[in-house]
Amino acid sequence: MSCCRAPIRRLVASMGALDVALGLGGCARDGPMTTLIARSDLARSILHLYGIITGVAVAIALIVAVVLVWILVRYRGRDAALPPQTRGHTALEIGWTIAPALVLLAIAVPTIQVIFRTQAAPVPAALEIRVLGHQWWWEFRYPSLDVVTANELHVPAGRPVALTLDGPDVIHSFWVPQLGGKRDVVPGRLNRLTFTPDTPGEYRGQCAEFCGLSHANMGLRVVVDAPATFERWIAAQKATPAEPTGPAAEGKAIYARSACVGCHTIRGVSTGSLGPDLTTFGSRRTLAAGMFPSTAATVAAWVKDPIALKPGSKMPALGLTDDQARAVAAYLLSLK
Amino acid sequence: MIGWLTTVDHKRVGILYGATAFAFFLVGGVEALLIRLQLAVPHNALVSAGTYNALFTMHGTTMVFLAIMPFNAMFFNYLVPLLIGARDVAFPRLNALSYWIFLGGGIFLNASFLTGTPPDVGWFGYANLTSRQFTPGPSVDFWILSLQILGVSSMIAGVNFIVTIVNMRAPGMTMMRMPVFVWMTLVVQFLIVLAFPPITVGLIFLMFDRFFGTLFYEVAAGADLHLWQHLFWIFGHPEVYILILPAFGIVSEVLPTFARKPLFGAPVVVYSGVLIGFFGFGVWSHHMFAAGMGPVADSAFSIATMLIAIPTGVKIFNWLATLWGGSIRTTTALHFAVGLVGLFTIGGLSGIMHASPPVDLQQTDSYFVVAHLHYVLIGGSLFGLFAGAYYWWPKMTGRLLDERLGRLHFWVLFAGFNLAFFPQHYLGALGMPRRIYTYPPDAGWTAGNFASTVGAFGIGLGVLLFAINAWRSRRGGLAPADPWDGRTLEWRTSSPPPPHDFDAIPPVLGRDTFWREKYGRLGLVDATRTGVAPGPGVRAVQAPAHEAFHLPTPSHWPVVMALGMVTAAVGVLTHLVLVLLGALLTVFAAFRFALEHHDKPEHAHQAGGLGLDHRKLALWVFLGSECFFFGTLVATYLAYKGRSVVGPAPHEILNIPLTTISTFVLLMSSLLMVLALAAAQRGDRRETRRWLLGTALLGLVFLGFQVYEFRAFVHEGLTLQQNLFGSTFFVLTGFHGAHVSVGVLWLLTLWILDRRGRLTVGDAVKVEIAGLYWHFVDVVWIAIFTLVYLVP
Repeated sequence: MSCCRAPIRRLVASMGALDVALGLGGCARDGPMTTLIARSDLARSILHLYGIITGVAVAIALIVAVVLVWILVRYRGRDAALPPQTRGHTALEIGWTIAPALVLLAIAVPTIQVIFRTQAAPVPAALEIRVLGHQWWWEFRYPSLDVVTANELHVPAGRPVALTLDGPDVIHSFWVPQLGGKRDVVPGRLNRLTFTPDTPGEYRGQCAEFCGLSHANMGLRVVVDAPATFERWIAAQKATPAEPTGPAAEGKAIYARSACVGCHTIRGVSTGSLGPDLTTFGSRRTLAAGMFPSTAATVAAWVKDPIALKPGSKMPALGLTDDQARAVAAYLLSLK
Repeated sequence: MIGWLTTVDHKRVGILYGATAFAFFLVGGVEALLIRLQLAVPHNALVSAGTYNALFTMHGTTMVFLAIMPFNAMFFNYLVPLLIGARDVAFPRLNALSYWIFLGGGIFLNASFLTGTPPDVGWFGYANLTSRQFTPGPSVDFWILSLQILGVSSMIAGVNFIVTIVNMRAPGMTMMRMPVFVWMTLVVQFLIVLAFPPITVGLIFLMFDRFFGTLFYEVAAGADLHLWQHLFWIFGHPEVYILILPAFGIVSEVLPTFARKPLFGAPVVVYSGVLIGFFGFGVWSHHMFAAGMGPVADSAFSIATMLIAIPTGVKIFNWLATLWGGSIRTTTALHFAVGLVGLFTIGGLSGIMHASPPVDLQQTDSYFVVAHLHYVLIGGSLFGLFAGAYYWWPKMTGRLLDERLGRLHFWVLFAGFNLAFFPQHYLGALGMPRRIYTYPPDAGWTAGNFASTVGAFGIGLGVLLFAINAWRSRRGGLAPADPWDGRTLEWRTSSPPPPHDFDAIPPVLGRDTFWREKYGRLGLVDATRTGVAPGPGVRAVQAPAHEAFHLPTPSHWPVVMALGMVTAAVGVLTHLVLVLLGALLTVFAAFRFALEHHDKPEHAHQAGGLGLDHRKLALWVFLGSECFFFGTLVATYLAYKGRSVVGPAPHEILNIPLTTISTFVLLMSSLLMVLALAAAQRGDRRETRRWLLGTALLGLVFLGFQVYEFRAFVHEGLTLQQNLFGSTFFVLTGFHGAHVSVGVLWLLTLWILDRRGRLTVGDAVKVEIAGLYWHFVDVVWIAIFTLVYLVP
């Protein structure tokens, strides 16, 4: 359609400028937290605008640099005579006041459009999710589906997601670059972030507002599932975990008699609410808010001494032996 | 040595600022190198998380408040009087006081390292991480107290320089003939006196929360955590213009000198500086685009931020046009000035990128903004400061810096800086958040971080080269009065200048007055204008052949006052006794300071070229800052109105009839003050005393009513800690009451002076100034009474 050709051309041109700029720096666009890959409508809007503005900025920078260098070469002082003592030129000054204003207008108009489009109220069909930022982990609640989980957020592809952000302690910031920009978690205010992810996959995120000792260790994962996969995930979240066998059974026994139950919820076992819900811990790919891949070894090490791994962690070491820690780890990993 | 402790000479105060700033700059630099070493490789364990958080907090706080601002102050102090053809600043002892308070604040802040509790909440200290609940130790208290102390230093200097620039220009130096550096200084001082009050209030709120249990940042009590962010950034954004405009001023002096032609479009450069200062107060929430302010606020601040880019961009073009067509001499100073033009362009453009909220949602709180801020602060401010250093070193020290070593310094710094910070744009684009003490190896951030660390050491090397150059200049070539064939008045006196700056106040022929003196009308030939005659007043103004001038006498009270303030601050963290001792010492020293020259005839008349008394002008400027101070308190009261979670509510407890009476009493006191001034002006000492005492007594009656009211409220359950209404009400009216108390003390002091026969007709201006202050405090009360008591 003709209406799209100009924007598409601009998009291609701006992406081209972006690629040139990056290419000049010898950098890939890849990386698990890169902002240069867009996998949602929000991220695409942002990236499009980013391309335009970067293109403009790079162009202006190059022009100024070239002009500056040329001036320095051309007007290098050679003799003692005074150069013409030009004091100003009104038309020129008006010109170079208006020109930047026009360039800024070209940036401002799409900016305002994107602001209002991306901050519009979510449609009724959106999946409502409450995000609670804690020091230093993420809690996710699906009120319409009666699901609570932590640190790994699952959403279905193709359906709008309406996040409501809040928290019980300090300010954090929810940032999953490939799904869109960041939004602060401000205790006492309900902030919103709405987007529609389009591509199944696993996306990395991280807290982006300094929130204390382990701010650097407050990551998260968003898993965008195909709709059917998402339904299965929801069903698994709502199911009560089966009775564990083997070492996991011993781990459950240790868990049930330790202070763990005061902070964590495992459906059918404990109802603590100070720490993450562990009902489906075993199905998560990472632990400790994205710090480590979830394996028998890492989980056991964490259970034995969390503070050594995550400075300031509110989860204390409970004085478990290595065997006990391994058993508890086996239990937790069995919770799928 | 003692001479330096008691000096009030603006040149020596400037040198003190510069040397001290350099020491703190090195401290901040070491902090930066430790940060970069920690981040050089992933999962590094050079420093712990807690140490890292303190490092970036102290690095930011130190560089902003203890390095860049005092470096700027060094140039303000040394050069502004010379540039305007004056012999010193308007208030030389206040000038020294500013320095000693700054030194005290800087030492106090860094003393936190000695207690093992350096601030670790970021230089921006967002609530509620800074609350007692989440950061219980004294680290935040060190931070709050230091910033308050440093704020006092800056505000005093702000008042001083505004009065100096407005009032002490040489005959013939109209505002538009002032060098651009002086204009930028003037704008910066206005920014300081108006921007510091909001953060003073924000810090007061935080301190009261932490020490007295008020609820300003207490979410459970209904507080809004955006309050801190607004107050901080209403200060913080003008602060960045405070940091950069002096560098712009320096470049506007350096480029014309070494291009050997005037600044292109000098009036426009001046206007754009003023506009930047003005608009700078309207863009603060562009630091809050991720905070959830809503699309309307986002859009408004986005547009305002883009608008401010226009006068900034215009300056770049004016500088380019200054060089164009010139005969450029590539001295080191010119290198740094050109460096600023190029690097600030990059920093400004990355700033434009931040101005678009959707894009900023990716960039804010990432290394992209770290890159941006360092391009404008190092590429901008620091490069500008080095340009000024090389340019004015001969004037200030009488020695020349080595040009070859200087160019090496420039290139090493330029290379190191770009290597350190250009990759950070990519790190931001690749999603690296800021303020993280480590990062994983699979994030793709490793190469960029390593390169950045190497570059940081390049910066360190560059700074070291400057230090070597500075040290070696002690034995370097002697500098003539005018080594660069300069355009402005500082080059018209010896290098360094004599204590009295100028043997005779120089004539002012126009803008670039010294250049016109040297080159006459030939220098005025303007190739692009067509036959326009030079403007009026360009005839040389002959200075009087001999004028008696009075050199300011040294004083030790500034040091003592600063000592008192720091003692009180130490007491806040240790023993109440020290607070009392420190406060007493400060007040005692302030009285001695104020009365030190009271009876001296040469201090009686302190008016400038416009016929305004320095002290009156100073008070007006101070009252301007007080408007912002009380305005912030009132705005907070109104913002929190109706948000209290528990009672009592205003309508349940305020006693309007009673307060109406006390308001009337206060207003009548203003009437008596008018009578006191009239009596002072006609020399009727008995009447003066009667009305001064009457005013003070009515003020005391008002305070008595307030004490009664406060006690009644506490009895009825309204305390500072009860609810938001209690916190905001008591802090607002309490600070007003404190201002009334200061006024009462002031009036009683005047009364005592008069009783002892020490208040003459010539001192009527002092009664007038006290009166202005008193009337202002009354007007503030009218506003408070209306908005708090009368409006439902």
